[in-house]
Amino acid sequence: MKSERDAIKGLVLNIQRMSTEDGPGIRTTVFVKGCSLACAWCHNPESIPFERQIQWIETKCIGCRTCVKGCPQQALSDDAGVIALDRAACTLCGICVDECPALAMELLGTEWGVDELADEVEKDRSYFESSGGGVTISGGEPCMQPEFTAAFLRECTRRGLHTALDTCGLCRKEAFDAILPHADLVLYDIKEIDPVLHKRFTGSGNERMLENLKHVRDTIAKTGSKTKLWIRTPIIPNATARDENIAGIGAYIAENIAGAVERWELCAFNNLCRDKYRRLDLEWDFGAEALLGRETMEHLANVARHSGVDPVIVHWSGATKFISDDEQADNDAKAHMRLVKGC
Amino acid sequence: MCAASTAPAFKIKEPKNLSPRIQWLRDYYFVGARRAWNNEYSAWTTGTDWDVQFDEISYYIVPEMYAFNQTFRSSFRQSARVVTLHPDFWSWSLPERKAWFTKEVMVNCVPQELLPGDLIAGARFNLQASRCWSEKEAKARDALIYGTKGARAVMKWFHDHGYGNSGATSGHLVPGHERALTIGWKGIHADLEQKYKALSESDKKGRKGAQLRAMMTAATMPRDLAAKYAALCRKLSAKEKNAGRKSELEQMAKNLDRVPWEPAETLWEAVQALWINHMLIMSDENYPGPGVSFGRFDQYLLPYWKKSMADGMDRDFAKEILKCFWIHSNTAYDAMVQVGNQGITSGFGQLITLSGLGANGADMTNELTYAVLEVIDEMTPILEPKPNVRMHRNTPDELLDRLIDMVSSSQGAPFLLNFDERSMAGMMREAKRANVAHLINENNVHEYAPVGCLENTMVGNDRSGTVDNNLNLLKAVELALTGGKDLLEFVDPITGKRDPIRQDGPKTGDATKFSTWDEFWNAYVIHTKNIIRRCVEVYEASERIRAEFCPTPYLSCLVGGCAEKALDITQGGAELSFVTIEGVTFGTTVDSLLAIKYLVFDKKECTMAELIQALRDNWEGHDILQAKAKNRAPKYGRDDNEADAMALAVMDLWAEETWQYKTKSTNRQFRPGMLSWNYWVGDGYVMAASPDGRPKGQFLSNAICPSNGADINGPTANANSVGKVLGGTADGGAADWEGYLSNLPNGASHTITFNPSILRDPEHRKKFKAFLRGYAKNGGTALQINMIDADMLRDAQQHPQNYRHLLVRVTGYNAYFTAIGRELQDEIIARESHNRY
Repeated sequence: MKSERDAIKGLVLNIQRMSTEDGPGIRTTVFVKGCSLACAWCHNPESIPFERQIQWIETKCIGCRTCVKGCPQQALSDDAGVIALDRAACTLCGICVDECPALAMELLGTEWGVDELADEVEKDRSYFESSGGGVTISGGEPCMQPEFTAAFLRECTRRGLHTALDTCGLCRKEAFDAILPHADLVLYDIKEIDPVLHKRFTGSGNERMLENLKHVRDTIAKTGSKTKLWIRTPIIPNATARDENIAGIGAYIAENIAGAVERWELCAFNNLCRDKYRRLDLEWDFGAEALLGRETMEHLANVARHSGVDPVIVHWSGATKFISDDEQADNDAKAHMRLVKGC
Repeated sequence: MCAASTAPAFKIKEPKNLSPRIQWLRDYYFVGARRAWNNEYSAWTTGTDWDVQFDEISYYIVPEMYAFNQTFRSSFRQSARVVTLHPDFWSWSLPERKAWFTKEVMVNCVPQELLPGDLIAGARFNLQASRCWSEKEAKARDALIYGTKGARAVMKWFHDHGYGNSGATSGHLVPGHERALTIGWKGIHADLEQKYKALSESDKKGRKGAQLRAMMTAATMPRDLAAKYAALCRKLSAKEKNAGRKSELEQMAKNLDRVPWEPAETLWEAVQALWINHMLIMSDENYPGPGVSFGRFDQYLLPYWKKSMADGMDRDFAKEILKCFWIHSNTAYDAMVQVGNQGITSGFGQLITLSGLGANGADMTNELTYAVLEVIDEMTPILEPKPNVRMHRNTPDELLDRLIDMVSSSQGAPFLLNFDERSMAGMMREAKRANVAHLINENNVHEYAPVGCLENTMVGNDRSGTVDNNLNLLKAVELALTGGKDLLEFVDPITGKRDPIRQDGPKTGDATKFSTWDEFWNAYVIHTKNIIRRCVEVYEASERIRAEFCPTPYLSCLVGGCAEKALDITQGGAELSFVTIEGVTFGTTVDSLLAIKYLVFDKKECTMAELIQALRDNWEGHDILQAKAKNRAPKYGRDDNEADAMALAVMDLWAEETWQYKTKSTNRQFRPGMLSWNYWVGDGYVMAASPDGRPKGQFLSNAICPSNGADINGPTANANSVGKVLGGTADGGAADWEGYLSNLPNGASHTITFNPSILRDPEHRKKFKAFLRGYAKNGGTALQINMIDADMLRDAQQHPQNYRHLLVRVTGYNAYFTAIGRELQDEIIARESHNRY
């Protein structure tokens, strides 16, 4: 049995323990590699390609040039302490990664078998139990590795761990048929309600995803399963952080999936991933964006609460700009004054 | 740089809800060296040429003091005032002389004073009193201290060569406060008298009789001192114009007429008695508050609290009494107030214990627990007394919510969390290993309490020498690499004198010829046993001196076993009398072993000779190998089962070996623990480079914590590793206590630093609470939570004047951030902050 399950491999980017942002309680989140979308703001750009990638982490590099000297393809070069990778020449053989003494060369994407991955996540069982947490599979897009995701969540369920699927919804419908029976919770993204903007931001329109969302709703209803549904909306400055977008998503939820949704989370953008783009030789349009203020998040949450959904399902989370208590008090006072003036 | 004009960029916790009285007392305390009143050491002599006040042995575990031993001895002797001795003084035994002298000084020489508004009497107590030695005794004792074989040279050699430090130290126990409150000193005295009468005539003339007579004298010291303070209160009351204060002073006088001699009846009496009983221990030991701990404060004071509440005492006034007690506890730091609040004065550890399990798994949280937490919250930031909250599986949500509120409004937890299940498993292990199941068993193990920082002991009958031996486990790795010699020549930093490298340990062979990991491990085993034996021997040097020359008859009255055996606590009188070896550098040791195995044997990245050369060169010119050691070799603290198996093997080995020893002079059993105080910082400059990639001069790992930066898998993984190396869990009879195992009866210091955002909203606070509950299941014996923003600490380094009250916790003792050394500051900043967005 074990070997059979372990024969199903998934390409995993990262395992994050004590995650407090991916569902209820304390969770271990497994990020798989490869995504069906390519959001312009993506916090984990390394999770988008389905192929393994090599990256150089400048801060870890000790400048020993072991990688440059050891690359059989001569794909690496050193320009005044900056290691450059000719990605066209690189065959992902991994020699530079294996030999880098400082772990500055990193191969993104590790194959994990179902059992070994379940063993790994089970280490935090005590914390799952004390917090009502569990395992979240995220990405990338886990529904793009449906066989692995289904097998992994099934194994977690068998071990009595709470399971959550974090999905953008862009995949074949059948993927949900395979995975849903083993997920206690689905975290389903609705990023942008306007299909044109959605395509501009993510590379795909949202029609298929909204359709799949209804399929998820129907499947849960039809099978009488206890799977819960949370909607998540990333709040991105100069993109999704618009009143009409939030109102539109809210209206969609209210009209189509109102009874099925337990929670709608607005997730604040963060800019902590700037370095990730650089390491992958990518440009990032959002690099210069500052963190959102609490005020903005509160405002959008308020828009959400008035969009037709049951207001109690609306939450917001994520890091906001650091402001001192004084500033906060000041802002609160200003907000209060605006309110007074508005009257 | 015009630093003074810069406003603090971050707020630090401020005290709140303080009455004008407490506000004044607190502010006055923080005036520090410029105060008109203080509790500085006063020195007192018998007037002989050979007299000694300062007992350096107590400071053998404080390497910063080594250079000053002789200076302190001389300067206290010079400043000491002569006490007119009783005509028979020199005809008495040493303990009788000591008991009489301390009493005479405290009652008749040191002035009795009361600060404005104070509700608790008992002000000056920091003494450097004569050791009361006869010339013959002084010479005999000095012969054991001085010389190349003397205790001083032996312990200094031990430290200079990187083994750690060792010395018989004061405090570090929970005295029998509950008994003293319940029966009063009158009861204690009567008991002593009865035991004395029961002695045979020859015993009366001998050592036993002398000890009991000394203890009887000591037992009257609190009575006579209280009478003096009662008189002072009456004198002040007569002059007092304010009617409210006048009646307070009259009540204080009435309290002092009764306690601590008579049993306490009200809260005010009990707190008054407790304070006098406690402060006189510090006088008796000539040492301010080193882990002289209060035990389960909210349990034994509860009846008095309840009675006073029922009698109509205003709850706020009751808290006011406690707050005065808090202020008093901090005055211990005045001992060397002119020197400033640096170094050793940052960590005295008069610990109070709150909550925890009772009999039959009951939770003992009560109304006083919450009242004390309010006091702490309102007084914070303040150093003493240090609270330790005992948590367990059934800790009520209400208490945890309260604690998390306090954590989130403070810079760190203003308390340490002790975890009952793991701690009690350790105490039960101790009972089994030392055959003391009649004293520690499942019916009473819940009565344990931590002392000092987090060291678990039983209460009222236990001295376990919890900080007396601090052994660098890493030294065994060094000796295994060299076949029993120091890797580097020791050069005295002050004199420049060189110690030639010698064969100090067993000859375990040339490590460069080892062909298997097992060969190296075997050498490591031999050297671990060797360094533990050495530590025990070094300890014996000071233990026997203390036993023979340094009685503390007053403290002995408060510790069960001493009266029964007519044996001073310094001679092993306590019913439970252990000596703890605190294993230091655990993480660095494990990581070094893992690195050797990985680099030399498993991956053959280098030869043993190359690795040893790299260490001799302090890794200079070996960057690539160092990077591999740091980055590629496995590490403890990641919940990596293979690495943690090595950690468990290291733990099992040294813990088991520690149980093999007893002191020769006092027959005290050694037991293992893990506390590193600040040695992991200072000894980082003493110990050679280590195979884990650490150069000489960089810090070692702290207590049971993973090496700095090693715990890349977050706090749950970190905690799981800690739980595993303590033994983890077991079913049924295999467990030490209800499914839990523990290798370390003393407990182990574990600190995790979190970013404050983990507590940013109620949902996250709930998750944090769940983390603590998970820790109770999987983690260690104690956890210190630091909740500090690295940016705030950097700002505090730049602008210390804005952060004078910023408390951080290090190894379970807290310290003002701006008062600790730059290296330690940097270390705290460098620590992994676990919360990532």
